[in-house]
Amino acid sequence: MLAATAAALNRGFRYWALLPAVLLFVALTLYPTANLLRMSVSTIEFAEGRAHWSFTPAHNVALLASDVVLRPAIVNTAIFVVVAVAAEVFLGLLLALFIARLERGKGLARTVMILPMLVPPVAIGSMWKLMYNYDFGLFNQAFTAIGLEPVNWLGSTSVALAAVILVDIWHWIPFVFLILFAAVEGIPSDVIEAARIDGATTGQIARRIMVPLLKPALAIAFIFRGILAFKTFDEVYLLTSGGPGTSTELVSLHLYKVFFEQNLLGYGALLSLALIAAIASALLMSRRALAGRKRR
Amino acid sequence: MTDTRFALIMLAAAAALTFSAPPDLHAQQAFAEVGKQPPITILINSSPWYAGFEKTVELYEQQTGNKVKLDTTPYGGMLEKARNAVRGEKSPYDLINLDTQWTIEFYEGGFLTPLKDVDSSFDLPKEVLTYGDSGYWNAEKRWRTPSGGKLMAWSPNGNVDLFLYREDVLKEAGLAPPQTWEDVLAACAKLQDPPKRYAVVIRGERGNGIRFEWMYFMQGKGATVVKDAANGDYTVTINSPQAKAALDLFIEVAKRCGPPNAGALGQGDVIQLLATGKAAEAMVVSAAWSNFDDPAKSAVVGKVMAVPVPAPVGGRRPAVLGNWNMAIPKNVPDTQKKAALAFSRWFLTAGAQRAYAEAGSIPVRSDTFQSDLARTPKFRWMPAYLEMQKYASQELGFAEGAQVEQILGLRLNQALIGEMSSAKALNAAAREIEEVFKKNGRRTGTLPPLPE
Repeated sequence: MLAATAAALNRGFRYWALLPAVLLFVALTLYPTANLLRMSVSTIEFAEGRAHWSFTPAHNVALLASDVVLRPAIVNTAIFVVVAVAAEVFLGLLLALFIARLERGKGLARTVMILPMLVPPVAIGSMWKLMYNYDFGLFNQAFTAIGLEPVNWLGSTSVALAAVILVDIWHWIPFVFLILFAAVEGIPSDVIEAARIDGATTGQIARRIMVPLLKPALAIAFIFRGILAFKTFDEVYLLTSGGPGTSTELVSLHLYKVFFEQNLLGYGALLSLALIAAIASALLMSRRALAGRKRR
Repeated sequence: MTDTRFALIMLAAAAALTFSAPPDLHAQQAFAEVGKQPPITILINSSPWYAGFEKTVELYEQQTGNKVKLDTTPYGGMLEKARNAVRGEKSPYDLINLDTQWTIEFYEGGFLTPLKDVDSSFDLPKEVLTYGDSGYWNAEKRWRTPSGGKLMAWSPNGNVDLFLYREDVLKEAGLAPPQTWEDVLAACAKLQDPPKRYAVVIRGERGNGIRFEWMYFMQGKGATVVKDAANGDYTVTINSPQAKAALDLFIEVAKRCGPPNAGALGQGDVIQLLATGKAAEAMVVSAAWSNFDDPAKSAVVGKVMAVPVPAPVGGRRPAVLGNWNMAIPKNVPDTQKKAALAFSRWFLTAGAQRAYAEAGSIPVRSDTFQSDLARTPKFRWMPAYLEMQKYASQELGFAEGAQVEQILGLRLNQALIGEMSSAKALNAAAREIEEVFKKNGRRTGTLPPLPE
């Protein structure tokens, strides 16, 4: 009898043991998401010292449909994510391969490489804004010193987004580098040596052996950076605040303005859900693409 | 008598004299008798006038023995801290400082305590500037007015733009300080020498910057955003021929007389260009004045002078207010509210305001501007400021102000950088603003579109 009870308790224990984690999950993930969903179909106004919620899904959808800034924000975000992430992964890979080959000073090189990632975003924004300054900035001073025309880095609609992307690339290459450098270091040296003995050139080794072996790490770098790039806010807020015009408006910056400047909480929640859906779709598509390649 | 004994006797005599002296020789008389109050906490922005505010608060502590804690916050974080404070169970702040554009949200939300509810005898001294009555709220009319409205806040700072110019540069060019925008444009030919020197620098960056500066041109040309918001007529009039003329003039001044990145110039850039000697003239908020006479920040100390912002020929004198409002949240205990009001009462005295001005801030009492201070070189901007107050008015004083500012800030900037014509930008702005009013159930409409 006792043994049977103990056995039953033991069988159930695994489920009871999960309870704290489930409760934590509900409190930290499901409740905020449910609240966001509720907000997205509501208009929230404040009167008599408290919030008044009214169920107005059509109102929020109408705001979404008539939001003239959202469209350029989506296009800019897409360009930003594709260009910045591709450049970061490509340059991060090159640097990882190069530094992994160093015989001496590898530790120092690795430390120096990750410095940009350690700089606080506010300092990055201020520093680059100063460097991009039309009259006093480092870049234009250098350009004029060698007889070139100064560039309107943050004031020209055709250059501003590229200028912001450049800052993002500088900021986040170290992140990609760290992931890929660890992966490069993990490649068995005998595989490389065998290829070399078989007469493979450095380029062939990189292309045919290292890159295929690095695919899982590359996928992680792409996914992580992709998600973070979708949500980029601080750099663009500090450098241009979305201007000139809408040339550097990104979705997350627009979301901030809707929530905090225009105080449209319901519509802001709807936009947040749209952003989450966009990121999730991009992730699913990339997973499918990777899975498809594996099957082939 | 030995030297040591003599010294001891003298020391004792000095001590006796010190301790027997009347108390007012030890501590300065307080500007207002506010009694012993519990410590208060103020949410305050780290704007250019903050240093003066901090020094004045220290003086309050010295004079009254009451303690004040300042939560100094950059502009970008002020609104969120204020919202979180008033929406919570109990506000951590006994006084919150609000940009005038945010006040309506807080008034309408019922988050603030009318000052007379704390002490029915409290009134603003008649010398205190009310900055377009932005501290009053008439809940029924949903409008900031003392007529039928309650006093909700007082201003610790009121900004208007001043037109600053380099006295030495204009003298050398044989030019007088400009009275009209046509004077400014005429002077451009002599002063504009890029990239060595720009004739005029004005904020043109998207958002609050361009919206605020352009409204000086808009007022000057007699244009308005809406027809008669104070009386509930929200017909959008931003696409009027006068508004177009104002935008065209603004673009001409900013582009012809300014740097190539006119559409990206923010407050910091404008101050930097004038302080480094790269600009001959600038439209700058009065709070920024201290930057130009501080040798640590300026290469043009003593060379910058101020006049009221020019008007167009035949137009009216413009002055757009951009002030701050200090208010007491509803969700603080009564004792704290009383302590907050005691500080307010002291801060608005003539003595405190003089100390505030001497510490580098912009005072908020007319008598401070008319005092001997205004005749000293350090305060040579005061006459221009006081002149501007004569016709200063609030813009976007309705609940949708933040949304309208977003729309205008974008469309004006697009016109400035050449993404669209001025007529197209104003037509687009009018449609979008009308849409905002419609969704909020206002009585609205718009003018016929301008030919694009």
